[in-house]
Amino acid sequence: MTMKSFLRRGRLCAPAMVVAIGLASVPLPAGAQTPIRIGASMSVTGTYAKPGTYQREGYEVCIDELNAKGGILGRKVELVIYDDQSQPATAVRLYEKLVTEDKVDAVMGPYSSAVSEAVANVTEKYKKVMVAPLAATTSIFKKGRKYIFMVITPAENYLEGLIDMAAKRGLKTVAIINEDTLFPKASAAGTVEAAKKRGMQVVLQEAYPKGNTDFSALLVKVKAANPDVLAAGTYFDDAVAITRQMKELNVNPKMFGLTVGGDLPEFYDLLKQNAEYVYGSTQWDESLPFPGQKEFLAAYTKKFKREPSYHAAAGYAGCLIYAEAVKRAGTLDSDRVREQLLKMEIRTAFGDYKVDADGFQVAHKMVMLQWQDGKRVVVWPDDLASGKPRYPTPEWSKR
Amino acid sequence: MKRRAPIALLVLAAALALYPLEATGYGLRVMLQLFMWIALAQSWNLISGLTGYVSFGHVVFYGTGAYASSLLIVKAGLPWPLACLGGGVAGALLALIIGWPCLRLRGPYFAIAMLGLNEVMRVVVSYYEGLTGGGNGLSLPTLDASLAIYYAMGLVAAGVTAVAHAILTSRFGLRLMTIREDEVAGEAMGIDTLRYKLYALVLSAIGPGIVGGLSARDQGYIEPISVFPLIMTITMIVMALFGGKGTIWGPVLGATVLFLFQEAVWARFVYLHQLLFGAIIVAVVLLMPRGILGVLQQKYNLPRTI
Amino acid sequence: MVGQVVISGLLAGSIYAMVALGLGLIFGVMRVLNVAHGPLLMLGAYTTFWLFQWLGLNPYLSLLVTMPALFLVGVLLQGTLVRRVVDAPELSSLLLTFGVSIALVNLAQLAFTSDLRSVEYLTGSFVVGSFAISKPRLAACAFAVAITGASFVFLRSTRLGKAIRAVSQSREVAQVCGIDVQRIHLLAFGLGTALAAAGGTLVAVMVAIQPEMGQVYTFKSFLVIVLGGAGNYPGALLGGLFLGLVEQLSSLFLTAQVNEAVAYVLLVLVLLVRPTGLLRGRV
Repeated sequence: MTMKSFLRRGRLCAPAMVVAIGLASVPLPAGAQTPIRIGASMSVTGTYAKPGTYQREGYEVCIDELNAKGGILGRKVELVIYDDQSQPATAVRLYEKLVTEDKVDAVMGPYSSAVSEAVANVTEKYKKVMVAPLAATTSIFKKGRKYIFMVITPAENYLEGLIDMAAKRGLKTVAIINEDTLFPKASAAGTVEAAKKRGMQVVLQEAYPKGNTDFSALLVKVKAANPDVLAAGTYFDDAVAITRQMKELNVNPKMFGLTVGGDLPEFYDLLKQNAEYVYGSTQWDESLPFPGQKEFLAAYTKKFKREPSYHAAAGYAGCLIYAEAVKRAGTLDSDRVREQLLKMEIRTAFGDYKVDADGFQVAHKMVMLQWQDGKRVVVWPDDLASGKPRYPTPEWSKR
Repeated sequence: MKRRAPIALLVLAAALALYPLEATGYGLRVMLQLFMWIALAQSWNLISGLTGYVSFGHVVFYGTGAYASSLLIVKAGLPWPLACLGGGVAGALLALIIGWPCLRLRGPYFAIAMLGLNEVMRVVVSYYEGLTGGGNGLSLPTLDASLAIYYAMGLVAAGVTAVAHAILTSRFGLRLMTIREDEVAGEAMGIDTLRYKLYALVLSAIGPGIVGGLSARDQGYIEPISVFPLIMTITMIVMALFGGKGTIWGPVLGATVLFLFQEAVWARFVYLHQLLFGAIIVAVVLLMPRGILGVLQQKYNLPRTI
Repeated sequence: MVGQVVISGLLAGSIYAMVALGLGLIFGVMRVLNVAHGPLLMLGAYTTFWLFQWLGLNPYLSLLVTMPALFLVGVLLQGTLVRRVVDAPELSSLLLTFGVSIALVNLAQLAFTSDLRSVEYLTGSFVVGSFAISKPRLAACAFAVAITGASFVFLRSTRLGKAIRAVSQSREVAQVCGIDVQRIHLLAFGLGTALAAAGGTLVAVMVAIQPEMGQVYTFKSFLVIVLGGAGNYPGALLGGLFLGLVEQLSSLFLTAQVNEAVAYVLLVLVLLVRPTGLLRGRV
């Protein structure tokens, strides 16, 4: 058969492809005295690029710290990171790759609840322990999975503090708005529960689509409902846009609190004095008096030349928690490490860690911040507060 | 000579069927997703490659299938293989309902309408949260069936390709291509163009519907924004175009080359892959609008269908 | 409540109209749907931001920079890439401009990072009776009306404007009449991009700036030009205002989640019942 007729049959080029794939999937031999390799996929690009980057940097600071102290179990630690483009399907493939091709010794969680949910099926399958520092949705941990562990406070509890402060001041009505995705929705649902428990009336609850930029109509509805408290389940862009348009439409509830967004330094950079009096909830603040906080802040700012966000702190803490469990277990064996993670109680720079039998976080607490003169002041809970909330909230024009 | 092609195909099929014996979990998943892309690119080819009507929202059938089959699993308790077929049915139904009005639109208007349809479906799924979970997404019971899904995906990819083969070598295919080349002339010749376009759209929606169901089962969790992304539509179009649209093997070839290339690139050019993908799209459109097979056909004077 | 929402809708709609007029110019003249229209708007917004950040330039004055700068970018894009697909089937131009679109967004991420930026120049509102009228939105509306008006005068009264309209009516006849069609294509793409840039500048004062901010405007512009009738320039104006109102009213009476869907359903209906758009005929 000539080359030409070979090509004419076109279809014959396909088997060659299978051979190529076969070659590509030959695993690399593992050396004897290799470092411990910890794998993760991270949202380096895509929707979650920003928080994903913080989380990765948190991992890096942790790895540096572990290595400076001689590694884990006498071995150096190394990070293997891929980009999942904020897409669950890609992340699933990458964790398969990490476990079956790269044969990493351990894995850490990706960014976001949605991606963690998809990836958890892979890590369960291979019985790999995965500390998932940035998965905040309860359902992930309540499906009978054995090897996934939670670090941050669940989404439902984000605005507990706002409701508590409002109830203490005798406020009666609350309006709740949220982006229509997993995390903000869960936090809105939790806020509704908290409000009902405290005898407050929910006068409006409404969702808006991801990527919404014009909140006029929604805020007009809020204004008409005239709530004492406005609680918003936000990510970041929407937090800024809502605050801005509240000023534009002169919507001025007695208290206004946000889930994510209100806590980030950029919130004030973008809004300036209009951020004053706004409450933000956060998993962590650099002013909190936790052990190792100063060291973490120093190491992070030295390495990345800017302030860390809570995503970075959570990533850092998640990695430390895993390392601690390995140290206590004396081995990398998944089941032994799992036992330690289940019974461990530890306080890191990020706060408390303790999980129930499902790996669900029960000890870590949210704090509420308020922007006061351009600074984030922790105003709730009382035992961690560094200042008092400024209340009542003045007119927009007087801030 | 003529017998060699079927034999080669059989060898290929056998190799792929035996591949899981050798494969790592990652290798298996790469191949599984490659099958998915072949099925998607080939399905797009059925409507757009043949009739010239650009479905700029073809992922809508994938997303609809994903939701339909997940709901069949979660709410109706159907076994997943049946549920995934249900996803295919859902895709076909949607195509029927939407095709009847939209296929009357010509040129860019059809493209915009399909783009819009995808947005509308995403919103609808988010809105009826009592059924779909809305923005909370939908979690399926945990189950590891990647091996079975590997074979199922492979079957769908082969099936859609077989359909493409059957159509391209039939009178039906000729009618569709007449529509592509000159719709008015086709009508003048007595072809009921709307009906044939509708058949093609429905056929092209079944594959993505099933594939959507299989992916949902494989990932165990879906949410509106992850099953209706515009970029998936674009990717399947570029794959079909790169291999050669309107041909049988073009979409298969295009999906294979591009997907494996992306897989190799992703690991290395974390910050640049979007830029690279953009550059690839521009290069394909400008330099080889008829795709790899188109170039080969011209050079070696092969039949236009292959 | 309805009054307030109608005001917001009209303010938003005036910007949609201006941006969509840009897309409509390109589409009318070449039958090319420019998917990169939104990302070009994003470039306009960043230009305004950096001028404000570095030089403290008044964001509204920066229109004088962003529009000519993006005009050149548009001419460059047309001259190098889009020119080659003008006569190809619509698939080619859709994909080509999509490729340009994701490349631009990725470049912006590399150059400017994904950090949100903002131009804090004008905030707050005028309170008239029970209505609050946002200052930055009112300013944006005023500029959008002025720029759109100027574009109309240009299209109606100048030789070049008439040439553009002639080409969008019939390229062959225009060519026969001695119009340099290639040059008109360059001009149309440049002008269209400049209008997108103006949109970018105006929204920069209102919303946070980030690399992916533009895409929604691409889709909204698609909607507007189809609603208004492709190649029908006053139609784009009407379509823009109409879209702004529909979005706001459906957010009010239904929920914000569905306004996109409502707009698209309207679009399909309009296409089916009146394929030439709300206004029949051309300028």
